[in-house]
Amino acid sequence: MKDIVRQKIGINVDVMDLLNEQIAKEAHSSSVYLAMASWCDHNGLMYSAEFLYKQAAEEREHMLKIFKFINENGGTAYSPEVNNITHEYNSLQDIFETALDQEIEVTKSIHKIVTRCRKVQDYGSENFLQWFITEQMEEENKFRRILEMFDLMGTDGIALKLIDERIKNE
Amino acid sequence: MNLLYKSYYFASYQCDQSRSFCIDFGHKQVKLSFCQLLAIRQKVLAIDVSSHFDKDLNYSGIEILTLCNREHLFVFDTLQIIDLQRLLRATFGVLEINSLVTY
Repeated sequence: MKDIVRQKIGINVDVMDLLNEQIAKEAHSSSVYLAMASWCDHNGLMYSAEFLYKQAAEEREHMLKIFKFINENGGTAYSPEVNNITHEYNSLQDIFETALDQEIEVTKSIHKIVTRCRKVQDYGSENFLQWFITEQMEEENKFRRILEMFDLMGTDGIALKLIDERIKNE
Repeated sequence: MNLLYKSYYFASYQCDQSRSFCIDFGHKQVKLSFCQLLAIRQKVLAIDVSSHFDKDLNYSGIEILTLCNREHLFVFDTLQIIDLQRLLRATFGVLEINSLVTY
């Protein structure tokens, strides 16, 4: 019997499913960053808002990268539904802690897909995901550095303003 | 055509000559490209069968599915959906084994 599946698709079908789940996660992240940016905008933290708008765009780029990878390799990418986005945060520190947790979850999810790629010997997808591994390390470090600012400078009054101004350099 | 899997109500086949697949739904056979087979798989496996046992979520206990860009319309009851999910899981399992064998 011919291996028609291999002729039609360059990636493993189970890996494709996981990549589609990852698309939904990236879309969710993008929307969460938008909600965070909105909160910052309403609370006079304009540099943080700008930073978070950029993060939202970056997450969407990640989503598109995976989306196109699936389709270019013969699979079917599914446009994700996004729900459960909270717009309520206690503070700027709360926002960046939530953002770091979110990035850690995305990193774990990418690692899970890479593990699956190795198991099913889908080396093409594994190679594609290497870029995401590096990117996630950078993303996590970015948020760790921002949270360190809160540890160093505190969270009240002028400290909050100074942190907001420094975030534009991140 | 090569039989891939036969469940209680349905059967799946691969046609080497036309490089396509076929699902026998009992009353009719539907020819599918791989892309369409993927689409059916996604639709059918996404169905929450447990909702069929909750009158608030699925009162009638049926699913209406459009397949192949709305070329076909099917109405399935709970048992048929469970069977179709089993057919698709098994079909892709067989296809994966075939890939491993021919690798």
